[in-house]
Amino acid sequence: MPRPNFAPEKPILTQRIPCWPFADPATRRTIRLDEYQRTGGYDGLRKALSMAPDAVVGEVKDSGLRGRGGAGFPTGLKWTFLPKYDPAGPPRYLAINADESEPGTFKDRLIMDFDPHLLLEGIAIACYACRLSKAYIYIRGEYFHQAMVLEEAIKDAYAAGIFGSRGLLSGAATAGGGPWPLEVHLHRGAGAYICGEETALLESLEGKRGWPRIKPPFPALKGLFGKPTIINNVETLAHLPSIVTFGKEWFLAQGTKGSAGTKLFGISGHVNRPGLHECELGIPLRMLIESKDYCCGMRHGKKFKGAIAGGVSTGILGPDQIDAPMDFDIGKNYNVLGLGTACPTIFDEDTDMVAVARNIARFFKHESCGQCTPCREGSGWLYQLLSRIESGGGRTKDLDLTLEIATSMGAMPGTTICGLADGNNWAVRTIINKYRAEFEKRVRPTYVPVTMSVGAAANA
Amino acid sequence: MAWITKNSGGAKIERRDEPYLTQAIKDTVTRTYLPRYETKMGALLPTLHLVQQAHNWLPHQALIEIAEFLGLKPADVIDTASFYEEYWLKPKGACLISVCRSIACEFCGSKAVTDACRRRLGIEPGETTDDGKFTLIELECLGSCGTAPAALFNHTLHENLTPEKVERLIEEAERSGSHGHH
Repeated sequence: MPRPNFAPEKPILTQRIPCWPFADPATRRTIRLDEYQRTGGYDGLRKALSMAPDAVVGEVKDSGLRGRGGAGFPTGLKWTFLPKYDPAGPPRYLAINADESEPGTFKDRLIMDFDPHLLLEGIAIACYACRLSKAYIYIRGEYFHQAMVLEEAIKDAYAAGIFGSRGLLSGAATAGGGPWPLEVHLHRGAGAYICGEETALLESLEGKRGWPRIKPPFPALKGLFGKPTIINNVETLAHLPSIVTFGKEWFLAQGTKGSAGTKLFGISGHVNRPGLHECELGIPLRMLIESKDYCCGMRHGKKFKGAIAGGVSTGILGPDQIDAPMDFDIGKNYNVLGLGTACPTIFDEDTDMVAVARNIARFFKHESCGQCTPCREGSGWLYQLLSRIESGGGRTKDLDLTLEIATSMGAMPGTTICGLADGNNWAVRTIINKYRAEFEKRVRPTYVPVTMSVGAAANA
Repeated sequence: MAWITKNSGGAKIERRDEPYLTQAIKDTVTRTYLPRYETKMGALLPTLHLVQQAHNWLPHQALIEIAEFLGLKPADVIDTASFYEEYWLKPKGACLISVCRSIACEFCGSKAVTDACRRRLGIEPGETTDDGKFTLIELECLGSCGTAPAALFNHTLHENLTPEKVERLIEEAERSGSHGHH
């Protein structure tokens, strides 16, 4: 059972990163290798190496850990999609998704900024468990500073023998039969939201434009350079050291049923103290906003109007949905796409929801990769329609057209390769449906001219 | 983005004798980046980053030199380079000011920040000042939503911006002449 304020007993992902209510974020600094090791770092990896690789996979599978990148797919299950390991077989890869570009989201940045070795330890554990020999951290181009921090941390880890051709932890013996050599590289993106989609990320790693691939084949069988590849999010991997150290029961005991563990919640927008917090899954949005431990209430004492659930792709929580528990069931219970990245953006009563919809539509128009016609054209139409409505030039039929487009493009209706358009749909649809009156007030009615004669004239 | 097609038929390509892809860059690519990937094309993004870092943008001639060096078709290099926003295929100012316009920033005041840049520099987003010192753009989420509004000055992030603060930053950049690294 979670504690009353849903804070973990001790911070886990943020054990070395000061966050409210445990410590003042103003004291944050980057943790270097020596301090990381002094404070229990790489103990999880040491324990993992003493277990058979399959046992590590089993532990993660049974812990109920679900991907923290947005889709919430069970991590252990994803790992089991890999083909059976064959020492004479092709190389197998890990691609780390550090392309955090979903508007509203700033959680992975925290780990890379301040505790980079936590990510590196997670990478080592995943590679040992899944028998992967090379890992590429795909970091977005705008995170230049974070790339420098990671580059430094990787260099330190190599120098200390943690990675390298001798095997993890200077060639330590493992329960998997001999040392496990691992190469870890950093790969900087160059400004493209779509590269956060896993197959587009692989294309970008191969030096191509970031166009998502048609699935199947799934990356676990044919991924990077056509080889078996696992793609995991930064925060997902950062959970591994503690899961291995403390065990699956410990992890399962946090959060709620179906949503185990703690999660980084990044709250932005119209609150008194925006920022990042580590809480157990299931924390009600109201508590995140109002608690003195977290955001200390709405800014200027204004009323809550709505919140983007977790990155703009997930859609919006309406004024009456402030009590929604932030867990993986939020999608089916509150008519949003899902928990997403769990980084809500909060809006107060003065916010123009038509402008919110227009801002999001502009984002997707800008970031559509152009591969599938419905998304490429549809995202442009949505932006034009919403801009027209915002400026007062729209008509009621524009609203119907907007909703029609926002229902027909995307991977769920089956007209596009990836889910980018679905994110666009959910955002636009939920905003219009939950704030319809505001949109209707902006548009002029559509008159249908009718010519008919009545009375004496009709008989003439 | 990638799907904006341009009429390039008959376009003149400016050439200079001195290569953009210097020996030093070639050595770094050969030593550091090529061994990392299964294919030579895998090293394309890092190579483009290196060349842009050295010249502040990617002239057409540089793309052709990269293609020759990596054994790729120039069309493949242009295909990749033109897809990503961070690769500049036209010259930009020494200091690139990128103001975030995504959801948290817009509703916490990014428009006022952009307007202050506009006024101070006398240019619109997408333009470069006549002296080549500044380019102003608006871009999507910088991952700094908790400290919105935010902007990048080249690679340096500035958070919790106000119009006054951004004007001060522009003045500092002007005075020091050092605009952070490219």
